[in-house]
Amino acid sequence: MNHKLKRRELLKTAAALGSAAALPRTASAQGAKPYTGVTLNVSTFSAAYPRLLQQWLPEFEAATGARVNFDAPSFPVYNQRADLELSTRGSAYDVVNVTYIYTSRWINSGWLTPLDDYLKNPALTPADFDLQDFLPGARAPETGRDGKLYGIPWTAEVLLQGSSRFDLVQKAGLAFPDTTDDLVKVLQAVNKKERVAGFVADNHYGWTFVPYLHAFGGDVFRKAPDDIFPTLDTPEAIAAGEYYARLIREFGPDGGVTYQPDQVTQALKSGRVNFADAGQLYLAQLGDAATSKTINTVKFGAVPKGPAGRFPGTAVHALGIPAGSKNKEAAWAFIRWALSKQTTQRAVAAGYGSPARRSDILSAEFRKKQVINGSDLGQLALDSIEQAAKTGHMKYRTVAVYPQVDQQLNKAIELVVTGQLSAKQAFQNAQAGSIADLKRAGIRL
Amino acid sequence: MSLAARAGGWQQQRARAYRRGLAPSLAVLLLITLVPAAALLVASFTPLTLTDPAASFRFDDPLVNYRQLLHDERFIASIVVQLKLSASSVLLQLLTGLGLALLLDGRSRLLAGARTAFLIPMVLPPIVVALIWKILYTPDVSPLHRLLEAAGWPVRSLIANPDTALWAIAAADTWQWFPFTMLMVLAALQTIPDEPLEAARLDGANRWQLFRHIVLAYIRPVLVVCGLFRLIDSFKAFPLIYVLTNGGPGNVSEVTNFYGFIQAFNFSYWGYASAIATVMLAGVFFLSWLVGRLGWSDHGVR
Repeated sequence: MNHKLKRRELLKTAAALGSAAALPRTASAQGAKPYTGVTLNVSTFSAAYPRLLQQWLPEFEAATGARVNFDAPSFPVYNQRADLELSTRGSAYDVVNVTYIYTSRWINSGWLTPLDDYLKNPALTPADFDLQDFLPGARAPETGRDGKLYGIPWTAEVLLQGSSRFDLVQKAGLAFPDTTDDLVKVLQAVNKKERVAGFVADNHYGWTFVPYLHAFGGDVFRKAPDDIFPTLDTPEAIAAGEYYARLIREFGPDGGVTYQPDQVTQALKSGRVNFADAGQLYLAQLGDAATSKTINTVKFGAVPKGPAGRFPGTAVHALGIPAGSKNKEAAWAFIRWALSKQTTQRAVAAGYGSPARRSDILSAEFRKKQVINGSDLGQLALDSIEQAAKTGHMKYRTVAVYPQVDQQLNKAIELVVTGQLSAKQAFQNAQAGSIADLKRAGIRL
Repeated sequence: MSLAARAGGWQQQRARAYRRGLAPSLAVLLLITLVPAAALLVASFTPLTLTDPAASFRFDDPLVNYRQLLHDERFIASIVVQLKLSASSVLLQLLTGLGLALLLDGRSRLLAGARTAFLIPMVLPPIVVALIWKILYTPDVSPLHRLLEAAGWPVRSLIANPDTALWAIAAADTWQWFPFTMLMVLAALQTIPDEPLEAARLDGANRWQLFRHIVLAYIRPVLVVCGLFRLIDSFKAFPLIYVLTNGGPGNVSEVTNFYGFIQAFNFSYWGYASAIATVMLAGVFFLSWLVGRLGWSDHGVR
């Protein structure tokens, strides 16, 4: 007991020392609080990493003298609020989350501040911040057309496939599905066994369906980001839509088309649904012994490959500074602290499951935590990120008008699943709608 | 003559004093009501989009949004959905509210307790109501679905079915707002004098005849006001749709208000969304006028 206490104290001291090292150098060097009197307004969506930062804020405030208001509403609420605020060049926020789907729109509209000058200035950024340590695939979407960097990534999330009741698959004498055909075979064998539905997906289909669209040889645009003519009515896209809608219609739980991310996670944790594609942050929650009933039966894998190959979805979120901020230097000090090696390592030690620094992803501590019931989520994520960087298939997502096309895809899948339209009709409508949306946005096709 | 002149002067002074007294309130009213409405109207004549506000706040083709609305199938479909939802939910609210008010119109403690209990849905924040119904409509966790399944009448998810999603929202909206009609009708019932009811009873009128010829005549203006209030409010339906169906499956529960929200907040087309809001405003004015003209209230007679 005494030994344990000492060990805990030692760890606490080490963490505190680490945080002190992460704190803005100007503060410790001058022995003063350089941002006394400054109030920083920080906003991100609610997620594991921002929650950790909120806990550790007093340390940043004590070292710099700045006061931080940290607001973290839900994902859609945050995006709407931030989009509106940034578009007016307002000064309400000093640090924002650069949401993946909005990166091109926010960066290329000039709504964010380039960070290069801060990064180059040794008085503002110590050498050990090590920008190159952030995965190249995570930095790429944060880079504008002007080649400047506008966000420092805090998460590189990957869409993976999870099976909460893999024991049922094993009982059926089958392996974890590797291909889209395998997936259907497995679902036919396990659907409704022990009252467990076969498959469900977050109804943000503009995210969850696209790996299947790619796997069938289709794509969202002809060749994003240079040629963004929509390609949603190709035979490949229609086949992918038909296939995917079948997964939800035939193997989904009652009301499967209404499921949102938290519902999907709960359904997997309680063992009400067997298979789902979800971000590894959500899937990692199946390893939580306190709340997951399926911790001993879970297995993870990459999203299935189709006739054209395997195309896992990846998403990067970053911290950036709005163009209208009146406290840019203090805002940069915050980002530097929030994403310093010391802080990200501390987050990994606290169980954070989706870091964007290579050193964190490769650390023994992270890898150990990412192995759940024998499945290595960390390795699966790393492989997927590297593959996405190689193929560039995620470029569609950073197109400025993607939010409109994203919604066309959401509607198309819903219409097919609920039998209102055939896949062909729904995807032809989505194509026509997307073209109209793009033209309205002033894009010449 | 001089007296009359003095009287006229006094009246003019009084009118001036009234105007001066009213001026501050009118100025505030103008500022908080008419200025935003005018801003909406002005924005609706521009292709304003927040991705490029400087270049898009222009008036070279002021009717562009309105022309586009005429060809926007999703917008036209949203009006049909809106009319279905408004008509069904307002009618259900009026019938439920009226029925319960008639049942609960009495002086016992039990009835007073029931009246209070029935008011609860109306005082709940709309988002709480939406979450309650989200749970009730999600088969996996819904006590309603479990009960029906246990009774041998399993029901598939109502909000995932395109044939029932809109009616599921109408039912939730009715649950939240029938107490408004109930409350108003209960208040109106208190004002009915006993004499005509007693006279009719002595003449042998049955309960239906009493209701049809005396009670309904008294409460009709209140019912019209309730219907009008709820009709106007039904055009603002948002939390239930946002939480329960997000306008889907497909577009079956996408009302005009929700479509305007998507255009403004998801796509940043503020000019277009303003045009949608302006059309809605005109629609609500027209419907209100129509309800008044149908002669369901006594105001026209008087």
